[in-house]
Amino acid sequence: MKTLIIVDKPPYGDWSGREALDMAFSLAAFDQPVSLLFVGGGVNWLRSGQNAENIKQKTVTRQLGAAAVFGIEEFLVDSEGLSAYGMAADALSADVICVEPGPDLYQQYQHIVCL
Amino acid sequence: MAQTQSLSYTLVITGAPYASQAPQTALGFASALVQAGHRIDRIFLYGDGVHLASALSCAPSDEINWTQAWSGFLSENGIPAIVCVASALRRGVLDETEQKRYGKMASNLVSPFEIAGLGEWIDSLKRSSRTLYFNAAD
Repeated sequence: MKTLIIVDKPPYGDWSGREALDMAFSLAAFDQPVSLLFVGGGVNWLRSGQNAENIKQKTVTRQLGAAAVFGIEEFLVDSEGLSAYGMAADALSADVICVEPGPDLYQQYQHIVCL
Repeated sequence: MAQTQSLSYTLVITGAPYASQAPQTALGFASALVQAGHRIDRIFLYGDGVHLASALSCAPSDEINWTQAWSGFLSENGIPAIVCVASALRRGVLDETEQKRYGKMASNLVSPFEIAGLGEWIDSLKRSSRTLYFNAAD
């Protein structure tokens, strides 16, 4: 059972990304293969140099850092989303695989979740 | 006429009542499933969807109370319904156990909903033929 969790909203303004991440952590904790895909505004989760202290939130970079420890298999990122937000794949806060979201990618998974 | 194959379903509701259409769309779908002879393994409330399990919501008299509607449907059909504990605690949906644990003045989880963890959702992914999501934007 391979699951893809899609994060399509930027961090901080909306809680759905954090709850999507919780789902990914839980799957990994139960030894279920899971990948995270960041698309659209969700690519901002991977932006380097974030500091959410002034808005009284935890910086999401630390949470993403825990993903590898929990056993989340890979971070996938939408190439177009990166371009749209002026971000370079080699300057992100985590190691990623650039992909083109679509049927070819989605058919590799039995379950796809996008909150 | 070809016989329709009977499937098992889990419905995950992440949109709140009165802020989104998710609970009522899910209820319509769930009713259609039961009428068509399919099985519903579990309803799982996650994120803002947990507000559906609050016994304290008071709908105006000329509107449907979606908490009551769902509660009745679940009881009539014997369908298990789980509220994610992490989502519920953040949003103030508590059963008596959590009320005592956190020293709060009241509990408000409506029957037959129960509080449990994401492990129940993972069990659904493994067990149900289909797991569908009803989000706020849907």
